[in-house]
Amino acid sequence: MNNNKLIIAAAGAGKTTYLINKACEQTTERVLITTYTEANEAEIKRKIIKKKGYMPSNIFVQTWFSFLLQHGVRPYQSILNDNIHTDNIGFCLVSEKSGKKLDKEGNPISVGGHPIYWSEAEFKRHYFTGTLKIYSDKISKFTFTSNKTSNNEVFNRISRIFDHVFIDEIQDLAGYDLELVKLLFKSDSSVLLVGDPRQVTYLTHHSTKYGKYADGQIASFIANELGKRIKCQIDEETLNVSHRNNQAICDYSAKLYPNLPIPKPCECKECRSNISDHIGVFVIKPNDVDKYLSIFKPVQLRWSASTKCNTNHPFKNFGESKGATFERVLIYPTKEMVKWVKNNGHVLKNETKAKLYVGITRSQQSSAIVVDYKDDDDFEDIMKYSPDR
Amino acid sequence: MEISKVNIENYKCFEGRFSIEFSKGMNILVGDNEAGKSTILEAINLALTGIIGGRYLKNELSQYLFNHKVISKYISEIKNGDNPTPPHILIEIFFNREENPLFEGNGNSEKTKKSGVVFKIEFDADYHSEYEVLIADAENITTIPIEYYRVSWKSCAREAVTSRSIPIKSVLIDSTSNKYQNGSDVYISRIIRDDLDESEKVNLSQAYRKMKDSFMGDNSVQAINEKISEKSKISEKDLQISVDLSTNNSWETTLMMYLDEVPFHQIGKGEQCIIKTNLALGHKKSQEANLILLEEPENHLSHSKLNELLRRISDNSDDKQIIISTHNSFVANKLGLEHLLLLNNQKVSRLTDLSTDTYNFFKKLTGYQTLRLLLCRKAVLVEGDSDELIFQKAYMENHDGRLPIEDGIDVISVKLTFKRFLEIAKNITQPVAVITDNDGDFDNKITKKYEDYSGIHHIKIFADARNNLNTLEPQFVDANNISLDNLRTAIGIDEDTYDTAEKITKYMESNKTEWSLKVFESSSVVQYPDYIKNAVDWCDEQ
Repeated sequence: MNNNKLIIAAAGAGKTTYLINKACEQTTERVLITTYTEANEAEIKRKIIKKKGYMPSNIFVQTWFSFLLQHGVRPYQSILNDNIHTDNIGFCLVSEKSGKKLDKEGNPISVGGHPIYWSEAEFKRHYFTGTLKIYSDKISKFTFTSNKTSNNEVFNRISRIFDHVFIDEIQDLAGYDLELVKLLFKSDSSVLLVGDPRQVTYLTHHSTKYGKYADGQIASFIANELGKRIKCQIDEETLNVSHRNNQAICDYSAKLYPNLPIPKPCECKECRSNISDHIGVFVIKPNDVDKYLSIFKPVQLRWSASTKCNTNHPFKNFGESKGATFERVLIYPTKEMVKWVKNNGHVLKNETKAKLYVGITRSQQSSAIVVDYKDDDDFEDIMKYSPDR
Repeated sequence: MEISKVNIENYKCFEGRFSIEFSKGMNILVGDNEAGKSTILEAINLALTGIIGGRYLKNELSQYLFNHKVISKYISEIKNGDNPTPPHILIEIFFNREENPLFEGNGNSEKTKKSGVVFKIEFDADYHSEYEVLIADAENITTIPIEYYRVSWKSCAREAVTSRSIPIKSVLIDSTSNKYQNGSDVYISRIIRDDLDESEKVNLSQAYRKMKDSFMGDNSVQAINEKISEKSKISEKDLQISVDLSTNNSWETTLMMYLDEVPFHQIGKGEQCIIKTNLALGHKKSQEANLILLEEPENHLSHSKLNELLRRISDNSDDKQIIISTHNSFVANKLGLEHLLLLNNQKVSRLTDLSTDTYNFFKKLTGYQTLRLLLCRKAVLVEGDSDELIFQKAYMENHDGRLPIEDGIDVISVKLTFKRFLEIAKNITQPVAVITDNDGDFDNKITKKYEDYSGIHHIKIFADARNNLNTLEPQFVDANNISLDNLRTAIGIDEDTYDTAEKITKYMESNKTEWSLKVFESSSVVQYPDYIKNAVDWCDEQ
């Protein structure tokens, strides 16, 4: 009940590594490590196996949704509605608010241009697809509600299974997820959360619950919403240097969040070995991209699959790159991002800003941003890449 | 951890739902043949291991696992066009205490919080369209569409489980022998494997691999392989003799147990049973609970071996849960009547709350046929041999010469211990009649003595109220007063010597067994005292 902690740190500070080390300290007690993305889940597993040689039998790594489906939904799935007692509940990832009412042709019904949604009273259609797959934006609400109805049996069970619950990339959680975090705090499990308010690249759902904390404001949530009996310590000091980014990358990425402290690069030999002569943040013309790719072999980062890139070289979406470390990256910015690169005073939407931040901070040596510019264009604090030099 | 409850539906002899609760430590299942004792053990083992008859059930689904009445009902409903749901089999095992939250949830047929596993054989809804086509031709359906069935094996948290993930390891020790292809016994391999820790398992499988490698490396094997390769020349590729290296052929299917150089499956069944039980009792892993399912240990053991086995079991049962099926009252008594679970008509009853006196009384009577009382349909308790013979005869005359036992009515001669038996009967609601003398004092010897049982509908006391007719002999003579000749003929005495009722009574009293045996064997018609006739009528009551 007391042993709860939130660690806030910038990109490359070693949040995930810290969490893995803490987990590996436990030899008998059972640890759940959960995170929002499958990419990060795989990365955590890889790092643990790299460290230990195997996956210890007391450590369980699951995505947040898979954890909720297995431990939040299924054990007491029929407590809200007896009709689904023996059914097998599946999972459906949605990218917008789910449960739209449809007409006979299967088209969404709308009133005054706004879609109409099934209410909670329409239990099955509110939470599930026609084949009983639970919508990803309702899974934490379902868990919360069935826990309440079952008189806390859901979390009573979870806290007896896991002595420790660690959540990586906590800033991705929002809405009812935060209620679940609260329930975890209240339980007998000790809870460790790590995250970076700058890196909100996903919203797990679109409910208005705790809307004001949706934008990575987990620390304010903890400060304001826990009440007197639930405690969680907030730690912004333990991890305050970047083991990944060099000074130039730290400085440039910090410009996106002028109100937050500027992270320092770690100066230890291990972090700073292997330095080349192409370091820092660059803008690069589209014509030079193919050559740049073959010389420096950066990983290409893009907004989504619809962004064109050179598929002969490795590429990732910003969102899935979170948590990863590359030697070099090449960023395909959105139009808005380009505006900011040209003028740092330009105001970006939260998601755009977070993704640009994530993109720039993936690299150890260099981050290059593809911008179609003229040679006499001026940029703030960013170098122009020239293939001739 | 132990199993606390088992629910079974439609499996083999269980039509519909059957539930049985177990306590920690010892459990003794008794019941008539066909009552389902072995089926219960088999079902528990199946739900915990996925194995039946030494094979994984998953690949061997068969309609014969289903209760035949359930199948017939389903088929007749189909033929009537009633669209029945295809029947399912359910075996549900609940664990006690809350030690295993991972297996906890309301995903069970009781719809409440339980920790346990749910093993189901059910119609696979994916085959819905095939099924529709099938039942359209109702006339040709003779059994359930087992080819469209699947096994679902989950925890109460609705999470798929495997025998590895289930925290209770069960060991079934039964009289049938289930062997791998090479002849080694499935269950003994399992017992041994379950007892090894991880590093021992790794060492064993590596040693086994080494042995295979050294076989392949042997000079003569290599020479042979060269020769084969030379001769075959089917293609560019080599043809070689090799040991089976496929992964599923692990040590347990290949290695064999030997006892004094005799292969395990060649030794006597009794010895096998003892060794398996001892191994299972010696199982020492602390994290996993161990459940021993022992089927009728008396079957292959001599009395002294059985005694030895039972002593070992009762000495070692503290931290293990054991479920034994038996139809031997010696076994039941030796292991403790308080552990008895009586199985009758898909119902379970137990002997709880016996007074210490009664409990000790039965515990001492190891060879006594206690179970007779428990296993019959109705029991008639009599005092001695002559009462037994007379009652049996009276019954036969009324039932076309059938002995009471042929109708499930057991006549038990209990000397002066009626009340001990009644205490048990009261406990398990077994119908019992007592036929007794009034000993010349009906008020005290009958009314007062049995007043505790006066309100219990399944216990009936039959005695005559006339104090002057104090025992069976005067009662018998009184009943035959109209025709003493018939009585004299029946018991083989002459009228000259025994000319009065008093003299006959006297003779009978000093030749108790003899006269009653004569009556039993005689074909001459005699009359029976009313209280005996009433007891015979009671036997026919529903």
